[in-house]
Amino acid sequence: MKLRFQITKEKEIRFISHLEYVRTIGRAIRRAKLPAAYSQGFNPHMKYSLASALGVGVVSYAEFVELELAEPVNPLAAAEAFMKALPRGIRVLAVDAVETNAPALMSVAGGAEYRVTIPWTGDIASAVDDFNRAETVMFEKQAPKAKEKVKKIDVKFYISDLSAIKRENETELHFHCRITHNGSMKAVDLLNTLNEQYGLQLPVEKADIERLDLYRVDEMGNRWPMLDSLFEQG
Amino acid sequence: MNKELTIDMLAAVKKPARYTGGEFGSIYKEEAEVRIALAFPDVYEVGMSYLGFKILYHLVNKMDGIAAERAYAPWIDMEQLMRERNVTLTTLETKKALSECDLVGFTLQYELSYTNILNMLDLGGVSVLAAERGEEEPFVVVGGPCVFNPEPLADIFDFAILGEGEEALPEVLSCYQGWKREGRPGGRKGFLHRVVKIPGVYVPSFYDVSYNEDNTIQSVTPNTPDAPATVTKRVVADLNKVDFPTAPVVPFGEIVHDRIMLEMFRGCSRGCRFCHAGMVYRPVRERRPEVLREIAHKQVDNTGYEEISLVSLSTADYSCLGPFLDEMIADFKDRKVSVSLPSLRIDAFSVDVAKKVQAVRKSGLTFAPEAGSQRMRDVINKGVTEEDLLHAVSAAFENGWKKVKLYFMIGLPGETDEDVLAIAQLARKVQWKFKEITGKGGCQVTVSASSFVPKPYTAFQWAPQDTLEEIHRKQGLLIEATRLKNITFQYHDGQTSIMEGVFARGDRRLGKALYLAWQRGQRFDGWADVFDFDRWQQALKDCGLDPDFYSHRQRGEGEVFPWEHLQPAVNRGFLANEYKKAQKEILTPDCRQGNCNGCGVCQRLGVPVMDWGNRSYDASKETNFVSLAEKMAGGDNCSYSIATQRPGLPGKGGSAE
Repeated sequence: MKLRFQITKEKEIRFISHLEYVRTIGRAIRRAKLPAAYSQGFNPHMKYSLASALGVGVVSYAEFVELELAEPVNPLAAAEAFMKALPRGIRVLAVDAVETNAPALMSVAGGAEYRVTIPWTGDIASAVDDFNRAETVMFEKQAPKAKEKVKKIDVKFYISDLSAIKRENETELHFHCRITHNGSMKAVDLLNTLNEQYGLQLPVEKADIERLDLYRVDEMGNRWPMLDSLFEQG
Repeated sequence: MNKELTIDMLAAVKKPARYTGGEFGSIYKEEAEVRIALAFPDVYEVGMSYLGFKILYHLVNKMDGIAAERAYAPWIDMEQLMRERNVTLTTLETKKALSECDLVGFTLQYELSYTNILNMLDLGGVSVLAAERGEEEPFVVVGGPCVFNPEPLADIFDFAILGEGEEALPEVLSCYQGWKREGRPGGRKGFLHRVVKIPGVYVPSFYDVSYNEDNTIQSVTPNTPDAPATVTKRVVADLNKVDFPTAPVVPFGEIVHDRIMLEMFRGCSRGCRFCHAGMVYRPVRERRPEVLREIAHKQVDNTGYEEISLVSLSTADYSCLGPFLDEMIADFKDRKVSVSLPSLRIDAFSVDVAKKVQAVRKSGLTFAPEAGSQRMRDVINKGVTEEDLLHAVSAAFENGWKKVKLYFMIGLPGETDEDVLAIAQLARKVQWKFKEITGKGGCQVTVSASSFVPKPYTAFQWAPQDTLEEIHRKQGLLIEATRLKNITFQYHDGQTSIMEGVFARGDRRLGKALYLAWQRGQRFDGWADVFDFDRWQQALKDCGLDPDFYSHRQRGEGEVFPWEHLQPAVNRGFLANEYKKAQKEILTPDCRQGNCNGCGVCQRLGVPVMDWGNRSYDASKETNFVSLAEKMAGGDNCSYSIATQRPGLPGKGGSAE
């Protein structure tokens, strides 16, 4: 039996790295005393994984952890115990139980929904219009370690359209981003694209990025929740 | 006051989780009558690994109306951003600026972290110099091992607590609470006159220092009747009766010691003559095995950690280690929690222990012969022979280990080049032993040699430290001598050792140089990539101070030291005698196994050694020793009944001499 939890990475802990987040989840599972399965060998590892790696600084309401169990448990009771063992900034939003041989969660994610709030109030409407109408919008993505390596990506392949709301002292962007087996693109790179292609001066480093959801996408393009939830909150 | 670390700041620095708090187990008290910041003068990963603050954090937060919060030194990248944007250093919990706390407590773990104390106070909005601190500002209190000579920091802190804090810190905080409730009578001075009455509290401004013409200390005398002539350290008589944290903060990221730290005992009675900790943490007091197991279970439940480290100055000396380890391993096997030891003794027993705790994984074993030649090991009273080491590594090789790391010091008093080169020879002998036992070559030996720094309250407090040239020359000798297959030589930067030496045995006059060096940008001196020796030398020179006076001078037998009014309760006569015995290469046995050596600690503190293995003690009777031999004959040398060695009584049992 495998348990799948939808959990959060909220404001308080947005700056812990993915690795730190993964370790934190592992320790919480141990504190919750869930009957986790362990790998064989001299150095046994708990069999759990996260569905996707989130950038440091990004808030998320849709992180998914999958835990293989050594013995079956009541998923609702497990979720409750898990919740109590989590630090501030991580909550359990949903839980689901599947067969041990069910495909890994990561392989089913098809898209993510983002909200980005920027302390900036310039004119963004025309850039959004142009972006939404464009066939392709190319972005040169630099490899993180080798500066000279540049990969060209079509932003429109990942993000077909976006919307913007202007407030008194900030601008809020809203969009969906496609996830494929070969990867996805970072929300922050959309902002870099807007700056480069449309001459905006969004203060990218001050952007408050939130992943609102992660979902499956079927052949017809319909969106489905990642979990067939047995329990849901918030 | 700007306190917010904004998204762009956190996104721009390395390891931003250092600055955001919120870890599981962290304690937030929004409302508190008294708030103390436990400030560690180094980065988060180092500070979070410090057991002392883990203990005090939980202890203080159990007090009504009193909150303890954590603060760490921001790394240079974050400091730069904070200064550019005028952001104040705050605690991790309720984000109080240090200046908003009632007290800021620093631990003095290491001399080269002193500039970070000045820097943190400044970043936290607190006046760096105690004399300039206003009525509304917090009190700066210090503790930790270097508190037995905090004189170079005398201009900075308001008061110090000597020794163990479990009892003393709550007394100090209650004293503060009372003073605050009464409307702060007498102002800052009023509080200092109150707090100084608590045993173990030292207020540097209550003492005047006079100097001889040769710059040595003439006297340190109280300038108020409230201050005692000497301040003696505090110790907890029975560790089983004080709180040990059962739900410590669990960090998100990897810290230096990222595991449960189970403190087995305090103190060490081996009496190595170079060792500061071995003198200032006396007497030995063990926790009872059943108490330790209970703490371990609670900590595993509350933290989710996968490893328990059995910590103390010399864990292999825990009197019941064998049976205790078996029980621990059995207790935690099914919960996938491993048990580890931070250090090993040089004997086959330790290899046996290592075998148990490491199960099948065969990473390297580490031993610390400390010196290469037998002569030097006798000088430092290490009490270990070459035979012991070869015996221990044989046991290790027979059990499948292929890697050995050996720790040494160079620059010990009276060291010759022959002694230095003996380090390399010993490493070779370890390799030969491997070949002899396994019939194969390829034994990896790592030789690590640090430069000896004489410390106060050790037998070598009188001894000159090697000069930088001498350290470099000796390092050069070893670099040459270890240029051998499968031997790796590691050594430390000699410049930091010199500065450590200056501050370890420094006096109040160094405060000016410390302040100047900090103003000129010194901080994180313990980090070799940041440390700037030339800037330090210049700062000392500009203050008219000669570093050689502090580090390279042979001190006179009768010289008054700047730290003698601060007492870890080790007799000066004992240390002087140990220094003489060192020069004659005479060993002093461990007092746990034989006669009292007269260090004076048990008697002066009125606290006996507590050792659960060797002797049994019936609390209903004043003294009823059962000798070690008798216990052994009874086949019960590890009864878990109370066993104490009463000071001043003739000891029985074996002697190491």
